Amino acid sequence: MSNTTLGKPHRSDPADVSSSIYDVVIVGAGVSGAIIANELSQTGFRVLILEAGPGHDLTIPGYEQYLSRFYASASKDNNAPYPRNRNAPMPRSTDVRRLQPGEPDASGYIVQNGPLALDSTYTRVVGGTTMHWEGKALRMLPEDFEMRTRFGRGLDWPISYEQLAPYYRKAEFELGVSADVEDQAYHGIRFDPGYVYPMRGIPASYLDKTVARGLNGAEVTLRGEKFALTVRGTPQARNGVPNPRYDGGKGYVPVGAVSVEQVEQGERCQGNNNCVPICPVQAKYHAGKTLVKALATGRVKLLPQAVASKVVIDPGNGRVRHIEFKAYSDPGSTEHATGIARGRVFVLAANAVENARLMLASDLPGTSNLVGRNLMDHPFLLTWGLMPEITGTLRGTQSTSGIQDLRGGAFRRHQAAFAVSIHNDGWSWATGSPYSVLADIVDRQNQFGAALRRRLVDQVSRQLQLAFMVELLPDQNNRVTVDARYTDPLGNLRPVISYGLSDYTLDGIAYSRRLSRLIFQRLGVEDHTTYDPLDYAYVSYKGEGYTVRGGNHWAGTHIMGTSAKDSVVDGAQRSWDHENLYLVGAGSMPTTGTSNTTLTLSALSFLTAERIRGELDQDRSPATIAAA
Amino acid sequence: MSLKRITTLDELHNYLHAAMQLEHATIPPYLTALYSIQPGTNSAAFHVLRVVVVEEMLHLTLAANILNAVGGAPDLAREGFVPLYPAYLPDGETDFEVGLQRFSREAVETFLRIERPARSSEESQRLVRRQRVDRGLLPTFRAEDDSDLHFYSIGEFYQEIGRGLAYLQEEKAKSGETLFSGDPARQITPDYYYSGGGEIIPVSNLETAQEAIRLISEQGEGFGKRIYDYEGELSHYYRFQQLVLGRYYRKGDAPDHPSGGPVDVDWDAVYPVKTNACLADYPQPSELHAAAVEFNARYKDFLGRLTQAFSGRPELLLDAVGDMFRIRETASQLMRNPIPGTSGLNAAPTFEMPLPTET
Repeated sequence: MSNTTLGKPHRSDPADVSSSIYDVVIVGAGVSGAIIANELSQTGFRVLILEAGPGHDLTIPGYEQYLSRFYASASKDNNAPYPRNRNAPMPRSTDVRRLQPGEPDASGYIVQNGPLALDSTYTRVVGGTTMHWEGKALRMLPEDFEMRTRFGRGLDWPISYEQLAPYYRKAEFELGVSADVEDQAYHGIRFDPGYVYPMRGIPASYLDKTVARGLNGAEVTLRGEKFALTVRGTPQARNGVPNPRYDGGKGYVPVGAVSVEQVEQGERCQGNNNCVPICPVQAKYHAGKTLVKALATGRVKLLPQAVASKVVIDPGNGRVRHIEFKAYSDPGSTEHATGIARGRVFVLAANAVENARLMLASDLPGTSNLVGRNLMDHPFLLTWGLMPEITGTLRGTQSTSGIQDLRGGAFRRHQAAFAVSIHNDGWSWATGSPYSVLADIVDRQNQFGAALRRRLVDQVSRQLQLAFMVELLPDQNNRVTVDARYTDPLGNLRPVISYGLSDYTLDGIAYSRRLSRLIFQRLGVEDHTTYDPLDYAYVSYKGEGYTVRGGNHWAGTHIMGTSAKDSVVDGAQRSWDHENLYLVGAGSMPTTGTSNTTLTLSALSFLTAERIRGELDQDRSPATIAAA
Repeated sequence: MSLKRITTLDELHNYLHAAMQLEHATIPPYLTALYSIQPGTNSAAFHVLRVVVVEEMLHLTLAANILNAVGGAPDLAREGFVPLYPAYLPDGETDFEVGLQRFSREAVETFLRIERPARSSEESQRLVRRQRVDRGLLPTFRAEDDSDLHFYSIGEFYQEIGRGLAYLQEEKAKSGETLFSGDPARQITPDYYYSGGGEIIPVSNLETAQEAIRLISEQGEGFGKRIYDYEGELSHYYRFQQLVLGRYYRKGDAPDHPSGGPVDVDWDAVYPVKTNACLADYPQPSELHAAAVEFNARYKDFLGRLTQAFSGRPELLLDAVGDMFRIRETASQLMRNPIPGTSGLNAAPTFEMPLPTET
C-alpha cells in the first residue's frame, strides 16, 4: 500500500472517477498527456488522466526511490530505475533475444515477431518515457515534412514546418531547451527574427572540441553532393544558463525539481552523465514538471495504477462512449477493479505502441486499417575507438554535440539521412563501459591498485563513441498487432511487433559505417568497433555485418494524413473515424526524419490542445455529473 | 576588528567585507552537518540543509555584488576569511556557539538560532555594551567615545549597512556623483547564478543594493513574522523547524503549526564525526591527516576561484561546480573514517585554511 500514500492529495479513487463526466479524459501521464492536461486545465476545463503505472514520482522521496534503484542495479539499462510492475509491464532491452525465423519471442512484454529483434523501450510511470529520455530536442527539417513530394520516398505530412513552427516555440519553452539559435539554422530550419532558445547552449565538452578541431571543414561527397562537416552543439531539454534575451528580453526561469512539498532542487545540469536513465538532480526535463502545474489548477485528476483496457464506441455515431480501465491497488497483485472513464473528449496519449495496442485490443483498426501499421523507430549504428590522446571522456552530460550535415540533401531520393552524436559517456552504450573496461582490466589484465586506476583512466578517458541515428521510412509491414494468445497478467492484450529494415535505411547504415572510418582516420582514432554475429540485433547487408540498436523513438502507428482512407488522424491528431477521439504522440507522425521525436510530439500536443479547446469552447455547456 | 558608524567609503567597504565573511561563516557548519548524513538516508533533512547552503552562497554572492558596486574588491582567500571554529554569533545579550558538528538535534537548534536570532525590541537596544567572547563572527562597533559596543544581532549589523549606503549615496549625490561607480562587469548576474529559491540581484544603485540586503536578511527569518519570505519561499528558520516538528509546512500555515506531509528524520543515520575537529586531532603522518590537509587546500582553491569569479570572471562559477563535487568527495572520505584512539569518533574536514607560503 505504500504506493498510494505518497502524493495522495492529488489522487482520486476509481469509484469517484466513474461517477463523473470530465471535459477531457487522457490516457497516459507522459509528456503529451501532461501538456494537453495543462493547457486545457489552465483555461478552466476538467481533466482526468489515467496512468497505467504507479504515481509516486511527484515527491522528492518518490523520485529518490528511482535513483536508489538505479544506483543499486547491476544493469544500467533504460528502465533500471523503474520498478518491475506486472500489471503495467515495460519492454526492457535486457529482455531481447536473438530471433529464430518464424518463431515469435514472447519472453519479454513485447512479443517480437521479427525479422529483426528491436531493443527499444518505453517507461510506464508518471512522466512516461521522459523519465529516461536523453533530452535531445532537435526540430525536424522542413524537408522532412515533404518526403514524398521532394524525394519520392515515404509520406508527406498534412502540415508543414511553417505551420508547426509556432508550436515548436511553445515546446521549447515548456521543455526548457538549451541551445544557441545561431548554431541551429541549417538545412532550411528557420527561426523567427530575434528568436532565441530559453537557455544558452550547454557548453561543448573537451571531447567535442578535440573532435571539432580535427574534423571541422572536412568535406565528404555523397552521390555527387558535397558536404562540409561541422561539429555542432545539440539542443537539449536540460537546464543551462538562461538567455536574458528570451521572450523579447523577459528572460527565462529554469524549472527545477518537482515536489508537492516546497523543496528547491534541480538546477542547472551538473554533468552527472547518467541523464539516461535518470537525471539525479532533475536538471533534465521530464513530464512531471508540466504535470505539477496542471495538478495545481485543482481541475486535473490523476488516477495512477489504472490501465486503460478498452475504448468503447457508440455504434450509432462512432463517438467514444467511455474508456474502460482496470485499477489495481498493489503492483504485486493482479487483483483489480474495472472502472469507466467518461468525458466529452478522449485523448490517447500512451505512446505509439500502447496507443495502437489499445485501439486494436478494442477492435478498432480504423477505416484505413492503418492502426498499428507504419511502425517506425530510429535505428542506431554505434562505432567506437580510442582517441590518440586523453580527451576527458565521461565528463559532461551524455552528449553535447554532433554532426548534423547529412540530415538532409538530394541523396534522400536514394538512401537514408542520418544525424551523428558524439558521446561524452564513451563506449557505454556499445560495450557497457566503464564497467566492462574495469572487469577486463581486473580479470584479463590482472591489474590492481594504482596500476588498475591508471589503466582505467587511460582507457576510459580516450574513448570516442559515435552514434549514427538513421532515418527509417514508414512501411506498412512494420507494425504493432495484438494476438489473443498473448496477454499480460491483468488480461490486457500485449503488443506484438513486426520490424525490419529496408534497403533504403540499410544503405544509410552502410554509409554511416564508411563515414565513421573516414572520421576515425582523420582524428587518428584507433577503431575498436566490432559487431558480433551472435548479437540479437546483427544484420548482414551487402557483404558486411552491423549491429543495429533501437532508438526508443516509436512512431507511425496512427499516422496523420488528409483523409480517412490514407491515415488514422488528421493534421490536429483527431481520429477520422471517431470525432471525439484524439490519438496523440509520435504515432501520428508520417515520417520522423532524423530528429528525436519528443520535441516534435510536444509541439503537436500544443497544436492539438488548441484544437480541443476550440471544440470545447463551441459547446460550453458544463459537463454534468451523472449517477454511475 | 571593530567598525565605526559608516561615514566613509572605506568604512562601508569594511562592513561589506565583514558581511561576506559572516555569510560564508555559516557554510562550513552547514556543510559538515549535510555531509555527515549517511548517503541514501534522511532525504528530507538532506534537502533542507542543501537548500540553505545554496542560499547562503547566494547571500555571499549578493554581498560581493554590493561590494563590487561600490568599488570594492572581494577577497575570500585572504588570511582570516574563514574563521576558526567554534565561532560565536550574537543573540541579544549573549553569544552562542557556532561549530562544526554532525547532523543532530543540537546542530539543528544552533541552525535555528543562526537563522532567527533575537531582535532588539527598542531602537536604543541596537547596540549593547557587554562582555565579548573571543572568536566573535561579527566585528564590534567602536562608539564615538572609543568604547566597544556589540550589535544586538545580525539584523542590526545589516541595518547599519543599509543606513550607511543611503547616507553615502546622499553625500555623493550632493556633488553630482554616485556611490555606485563600480564596474558592472564585476556583477554576478542570473546568467551565472541561479538556485531553486531566491534570485541573484545585480547591484547598480541604492535601490538594488537595498533589495539585496533585504534578501540576505529576510531569507533566513521570513518576512514580517510570516513563515514565507518576500519571494514566497519558506524561510530557513521554518525549513529547519520542519525537522524538529516532523511535518512540512504548506501555504497558509501559521508559524509553528505545519500541516503538510510527514518529515521523517533518522537522527542515528549519521556518521559520528568529531565536533570542531582540527588537524592536530589526526595522527601524523597518516592518510587521515593527509586527506584533511588536502581538503583544506581544495577549499582554499575554491575560495580563490570564487574571488576571481567575483573580480570580473563570472564564468569561473561554472568551474566552481566541479570544485564543489571534489569538496564533497573529500569531505565524505574523511567522515567515513574513524580517528584512531578516540573510541568511535570519525574524522571531519577542519576548514583550517593553509597560510600563504612564504617566499
